[in-house]
Amino acid sequence: MSEPIIQMKNIEKHFGSVIALAGVSVDIFPGECHCLLGDNGAGKSTFIKTMSGVHKPTKGEIVFDGKPMNFARPRNAMAAGIATVHQHLAMIPLMSVSRNFFMGNEPIRKIGPIRLFDHEHANTVTMEAMKKMGINLRGPDQAVGTLSGGERQTVAISRAVHFGAKVLILDEPTSALGVRQTSNVLATIDKVRKEGVAVVFITHNVRHALAVGDRFTVLNRGTTLGTAKKGEITAEELQDMMAGGQELAVLEGSLGGTV
Amino acid sequence: MTSKMSKLLASAALVAAPFLATTAVADGHGDDLTYILVSHAPDSDSWWNTVKNGIALAGEQLDVTVEYRNPPTGDLADMARIIEQAAASQPDGIITTLADFDVLSGPIREAVDQGIDVIIMNSGTPEQTREVGALMFVGQPEYDAGLAAGQRAKDDGVESFVCVNHVISNAVVAERCRGFADGLGIDLGESMIDAGQDPSEIKNRVTAYLNANPETDAILTLGPVSADPTILAVEEMGIAGDIYFGTFDLGDNIVAGIKDGTIQWGIDQQPFLQAYLPVVVLANYDRYGVLPGNNINSGPGFVTADGLEMVEKFAGEYR
Amino acid sequence: MADVSHTDERIKQTSRLRQALIRPELGGIVGTVAVFVFFFLFAHDSGMFNAQGVMNWSVVSAQFMIIAVGACLLMIAGEFDLSVGSMIGFAGMMIAIFGVTYELPMWIAILITFAICIAFGALNGYIVVKTGLPSFIVTLATLFILRGFTIFIPQTLERKTIIGGIREAAEGDWLAAVFGAKIGKPIFQWLGDAGVISTFERGSRIGEPVVDGIPMLIIWALGLVIFGHWLLTRTRFGNWIFASGGDADAARNSGVPVTAVKIKMFMFTAFCATVFAVCQVMEFGSAGADRGLLKEFEAIIAVVIGGALLTGGYGSVIGAALGALIFGVVQQGLFFAGVESSLFRVFLGVILLAAVILNTYIRRIITGER
Repeated sequence: MSEPIIQMKNIEKHFGSVIALAGVSVDIFPGECHCLLGDNGAGKSTFIKTMSGVHKPTKGEIVFDGKPMNFARPRNAMAAGIATVHQHLAMIPLMSVSRNFFMGNEPIRKIGPIRLFDHEHANTVTMEAMKKMGINLRGPDQAVGTLSGGERQTVAISRAVHFGAKVLILDEPTSALGVRQTSNVLATIDKVRKEGVAVVFITHNVRHALAVGDRFTVLNRGTTLGTAKKGEITAEELQDMMAGGQELAVLEGSLGGTV
Repeated sequence: MTSKMSKLLASAALVAAPFLATTAVADGHGDDLTYILVSHAPDSDSWWNTVKNGIALAGEQLDVTVEYRNPPTGDLADMARIIEQAAASQPDGIITTLADFDVLSGPIREAVDQGIDVIIMNSGTPEQTREVGALMFVGQPEYDAGLAAGQRAKDDGVESFVCVNHVISNAVVAERCRGFADGLGIDLGESMIDAGQDPSEIKNRVTAYLNANPETDAILTLGPVSADPTILAVEEMGIAGDIYFGTFDLGDNIVAGIKDGTIQWGIDQQPFLQAYLPVVVLANYDRYGVLPGNNINSGPGFVTADGLEMVEKFAGEYR
Repeated sequence: MADVSHTDERIKQTSRLRQALIRPELGGIVGTVAVFVFFFLFAHDSGMFNAQGVMNWSVVSAQFMIIAVGACLLMIAGEFDLSVGSMIGFAGMMIAIFGVTYELPMWIAILITFAICIAFGALNGYIVVKTGLPSFIVTLATLFILRGFTIFIPQTLERKTIIGGIREAAEGDWLAAVFGAKIGKPIFQWLGDAGVISTFERGSRIGEPVVDGIPMLIIWALGLVIFGHWLLTRTRFGNWIFASGGDADAARNSGVPVTAVKIKMFMFTAFCATVFAVCQVMEFGSAGADRGLLKEFEAIIAVVIGGALLTGGYGSVIGAALGALIFGVVQQGLFFAGVESSLFRVFLGVILLAAVILNTYIRRIITGER
């Protein structure tokens, strides 16, 4: 087992009098999918925003690649290789796949002092990357708006990987998707993990987590109950931890463990 | 039912009319004469309706084709383009206003140099008319009209006045106020207010001015746009008939005001003549080579409570 | 790339026609053809297509193009500028004030005017992106502020609202010539002598052709269209413009400097308005307080006819230029065709409505909405 690429040590984050995170410790390893589970309001998004440089922790330390991390802005985190794929805010429907793929990282072709957008390069790379992920495009100029939700997530993920992400944070990528599209996204996660990227997969769906996860951390009311490895924990136990071990137990029978 | 039906037919005819006119123009080249009148007035200025009726009547009587064009927003730069465009369509003559010499003199001169006869109407001076090479000027010398009005007011005992100007950007119209002040023998000073084009704004500004300057003897408005709201303002303040009120140009409300004593006099520059006479002059010049030897003053004609009958009958149409 | 192994059976193969349909320029191209056919049928013998007539609608269209390029890029970046018309009046007046009232050399007056107007553009942009208010409201405020200054300043300094004498003040000035001169005069003189273009029959310019050169206004219009199209489609910045207008949050998440892009586009719009104003005052020699009224809407209409979406993120500079051409040709052409001038607005409304409906349809196809 290799060294963790990110170590979050005892992270606390306060917003005024509200304690969003009360001492959370998590280690993220390359080539693994780390599932971060939790109900709404558990502190998941605060936690990943802290990891991606949007928030500064009130207390605690983040170690990235063996060095203490202190990113002033999300752009710096991105440059260092920490990429976040948001559920809705990833793609621009009216723009072509190729323009979306290179948005913010446009390839440049220089003619003397003039710097041009290298469309040829962008189109080739996009088509290749899409093919690798199993998406068939009519052409690189096809608008993202014509893709399904799952395909859009896949484009966003492969874009992040293409631009050298070492840590890929996926914010609820499956929550709005149908069964088939979900399995496509989960397959994409699997491919990315095998390329050695550390994936942080945020979800509140236990079955999605168990399908691809290597490690599982449950957040509840700003604290964690520790991290479990694959095979050490069952769906029921995760479900219980997410709900704080009480309320859901009553409903368990009627829902048949399908939540 | 019948009235509905006839209204329907009338509106159908109205929609079809411009297209019928189109065919008339297309067929009209050759034996027919075509004259284009270009004004500086925005679409919203109803005073120019008389001008439209004037050229239409002249066109009908003389059997020539006439067209009326104007910049929709009153932008003089757009008007310059319309003159250029009118020249490009090679009419036999162009009748145009000269609202801003700097902007319009170039296009007008070019039209003249292409061999198109031009008559300046309404706005402009005899000197400017000569300078652009137009045949003549048909209109009311604005300063002289203002001066005559000022002298008349002075004889009636007026010592101070407010000039309600709704077209502050038109330098020629402002000459009316200057002439009036000179006729009274006083300095124009702060007596001219920029009233804007909106009726309720004009009314409020006049009310505000008169409240702030209660010693004002007289009001001079420069056209129906400023006169109509001013009539309401003096009525509301209870000084209608008390305050000396003169106006340029005529309109339905102005005529009513003259009749009931709110307005002492209206200066009629007779826009009908400004449109009608140039067409007559041009048509006779083109057909028989005859041309009057001087500019034609279409005004000023003072309209008072005496002899309102004809004015009333044709107000807004030919008067 | 061509060996697509297995296609999704639910995606119908789209025909070339349908692919052509979703180009933003489509409406503009169809409209341009339709408009020219219409006027060729109804006004071919009215002088509309002689040299002078062509120059007339070309100049009017070029004016629209100059402001449409700015409005187009700004609209694609997701914002509006309603202060364009006021900016035109204001810029012209500034040149008159600095060049005539204060008697500065004309090139300095022009440069100062550009600096002031672009600064106002930047202020518009800064307020919009920093407050998050709709640009509609912010620039509406600027519309009134600038128009107010345009009336107040000359009234205070000169006691009038039209300042003339600019042509005389600009005599021999190199920068003024960049905006007000005409080029290609020898060619037109030759065409005039050859009888291709009619010549003046009398006056001081007898023998000269009625169209004696191409005004710099048209050169500026073409130059701005080419620049705008190049910027939008061929550069990285162009991608950022699309991204900022398509979804500002998504663009920010991907590292696009949305704030800077939007502010720069507001500045560019102000630049275009100032170019319009300088060309106008150099041609006509005077600046008036009422110049440029309603031009902001004319610019937006041209852009919308040209296929840009009001919601941002989609559009084309070439389309906007065609929209401006349609606008100019219709406006002048209706006069040539002898149609009652008040009906111009009716035609404009119909064209605008048709363009918006077509655009909505195109948007549905692109985004796959049903």
